[in-house]
Amino acid sequence: MRTLKTSEAASELNVSPNTLRAWERRFGYPRPMRTEGRHRLYTHGEIASLRDALKEGLSISSAISRARENLRADTPVLVGALSACELDRADAAMEAALALRSVERAVEEILLPSLHEIADRSGEASAPWAFAVQWASDWLNRARRLAPSGVRPLTVLVGDATRDEQDPDALDTWALELFAQRAGAEVLTLPVTGLVGLGDVLANFHPRAIVIAGSHAGDDDVARWAYAVRAASGPLPVALYRRGSRRPAGRTTGTLVLPHSPSAAQHELMALVEGRPAAPVPASEPSVERSASIAPVQLRRSASA
Amino acid sequence: MTRPQLQVLPGYGETDVEPYVDFCGHCGKRQEAAAPASRVCGNCHLGLIVSAPGSLAPGAKEPFLIVDGRLQVCAVSRRAERLLGIAEADVVDRQLTDVLLPADAEAVGVEGFVSTIVHAARGDGIVRDLVVRPAGEWGIRWFTRIGPCATPSAVLIVLAPNG
Ligand SMILES: [Zn+2]
Repeated sequence: MRTLKTSEAASELNVSPNTLRAWERRFGYPRPMRTEGRHRLYTHGEIASLRDALKEGLSISSAISRARENLRADTPVLVGALSACELDRADAAMEAALALRSVERAVEEILLPSLHEIADRSGEASAPWAFAVQWASDWLNRARRLAPSGVRPLTVLVGDATRDEQDPDALDTWALELFAQRAGAEVLTLPVTGLVGLGDVLANFHPRAIVIAGSHAGDDDVARWAYAVRAASGPLPVALYRRGSRRPAGRTTGTLVLPHSPSAAQHELMALVEGRPAAPVPASEPSVERSASIAPVQLRRSASA
Repeated sequence: MTRPQLQVLPGYGETDVEPYVDFCGHCGKRQEAAAPASRVCGNCHLGLIVSAPGSLAPGAKEPFLIVDGRLQVCAVSRRAERLLGIAEADVVDRQLTDVLLPADAEAVGVEGFVSTIVHAARGDGIVRDLVVRPAGEWGIRWFTRIGPCATPSAVLIVLAPNG
């Protein structure tokens, strides 16, 4: 993914850096990532799309609407590829998406909406859905393997309360795990139904927070598992993700209900693990160093795979 | 042998096109005569520079909207946002009739209103007057000037709340 500094992005659009910041405040676009030093970095695709739209636009709003539409154009390509069971074309669609966006945004803006569209069209008991989920699981796992793990001393234990791989909540959970790992956390996922040997695992993995993800497992199973974890690792903070709970206005009695968007959830989860309040940061704001670490070409499936 | 020659007769070939003036599609500020390097307004940073005939272009305090030939809203000025109680980003790409309707529907009809916009979009150059009201509200009416603007070619609707 090619990125531009504020001055480069402003020059590409023939505007001042102040103008770019004014658009970010008013329209939320272009939406820059941040470097470790909190400097803005723009994806070239987002800027190029806006540059083209501005030429034919009558307002900044309409140009931004057009630029967003153009960027979303990858979604139908991925839906078409997965519906036709074409693995290579699906991979290519994600590579194209990654050329214009960070991994987080490619997942949230292209991969997840495409999968949800297939679920809506074909149903969750269908072969296209099973195929698409398998592809997505494979893709997200590859991305996780390429992401650094445990860069910061942040360890998160995910209690998997989803039904199985076909459970739509599983997809968002995998995305959250990927994003957390890319934000520097070490993530371990265990099923909430597995109590045997849990203490042995936790003797070597010292989580700073627990996330219960998914709504399939019953409250009793979840409560037993969480109790066993806390008995082994101490009174850790617990967060719920995709557990069907209505999100309260603020943090309630010790259990944080994470927002549905994986990037927003990752942001709040990191704040929970670090023991700081979650500042309002735009969704999908990955660190650039890690964002650049997964180049599209690296995600290409090898011929033998 | 003399060959017949074409001659320009008085009154023909003299275009009567009013000069266009440049202004910002958001704050309405008139721009300098020289073409700016960027299409973005240097005053508010939030609008693109648009051109319209001098008699149509909005005055300093006049709210205005810009729609395309399909009657989709393309721009809403800052003053029009305040007057109509809408945000540009919320109505961009929506139909004009979601925002404005003819005030006297029996006299003009929605079709007449639409036809006025479509003619302006075709660039016949005529500035028309029409009385409109906000969609979903009655008892309020505004006089408007409707005519062509550019670029790209579109329709400018200037509202005169006190007109
Ligand atoms: Zn302006």
